[in-house]
Amino acid sequence: MKPIVKIALLVVVLIAIGGLFAALYLYNLKPRDLQKAKPHFSISADDFQKAFNENEKAASTRYINKIIDVSGTIASVQSGEKNTFNVALKTGNELSSIICTFHSIKDTTILRSGNQIIIRGVCSGFLMDVLLNNCVVVKSWK
Amino acid sequence: MKRLIFLLILPCLVVNANAQKYMTKNGFIGFYGHTPMEDIKADNNQVASVLDISTGELVFQVLIKSFHFDRALMEEHFNENYMESDKIPKSIFKGRITNLSSVDFKKIGSYDVTVEGDLTIHDVTNKITTKGSIEVISEGINANSKFNIVPEDYKINIPGLVRDKIAKSLEVTVTMKYSPLPSK
Repeated sequence: MKPIVKIALLVVVLIAIGGLFAALYLYNLKPRDLQKAKPHFSISADDFQKAFNENEKAASTRYINKIIDVSGTIASVQSGEKNTFNVALKTGNELSSIICTFHSIKDTTILRSGNQIIIRGVCSGFLMDVLLNNCVVVKSWK
Repeated sequence: MKRLIFLLILPCLVVNANAQKYMTKNGFIGFYGHTPMEDIKADNNQVASVLDISTGELVFQVLIKSFHFDRALMEEHFNENYMESDKIPKSIFKGRITNLSSVDFKKIGSYDVTVEGDLTIHDVTNKITTKGSIEVISEGINANSKFNIVPEDYKINIPGLVRDKIAKSLEVTVTMKYSPLPSK
């Protein structure tokens, strides 16, 4: 075998192995840890709800799939299936809040009704409430 | 749809002292599919649902983007390639309990029910009938159901290359904890 062919083969094999690792890495990629992420927007719960209530289309384009820091007062906390917690933030609208889902949270003692909090999450859109997923606590006041 | 739910709710905020309507915004719907290659599993903890115990009517709605996967790439493919959630953000079920008379909402206990109605996924509506249970507890009403859906029935196109990797049928689990709608 000519040296050039050997080198070419080696390169092909290396690329194949690299590709395999890259594919495995991508496949096993976990949802993003937002604690280390930078938010695209910081907004109060009330303004956030108003944005969707007044113009859902515009707010959807602006906020969906974006990382948002939302500040507000906790209205209620509900534990859900598989260690999830839904925290609702108060807004000026009694029928509509910001619902933030935590998929893995260790310290739930800060999640109490009435507490001030800043929550970071990815906006999924608007049903009757504005919905955030993959939430983490940025700051809390007891 | 949102307006419809508000309209459903509004009258009972005004007139109803005895709750006829029950509601949750924190309901759970998950789905699971198994193939030799891999398991597909996703959870949605942000299901909004209203149950009217006087008529047996049930409405569920979910945002597709609220489904949470353990694998980020799977979630991306689910949204972009299969569900097209930018274009079709919601999924809705509207139906009713067909054997309402066999549930005593005044008596704590568990009751088997049959639910039938229209399930809209990916802008395709199909009639479905499923078994479930209603549990009357002191704080409200719990509802549970498990049924299977076939992605093909909802025109969810799965490319040939990965068709065998994705289960032909997915098991859907529904778990609701309803509270009475506050009367004013």
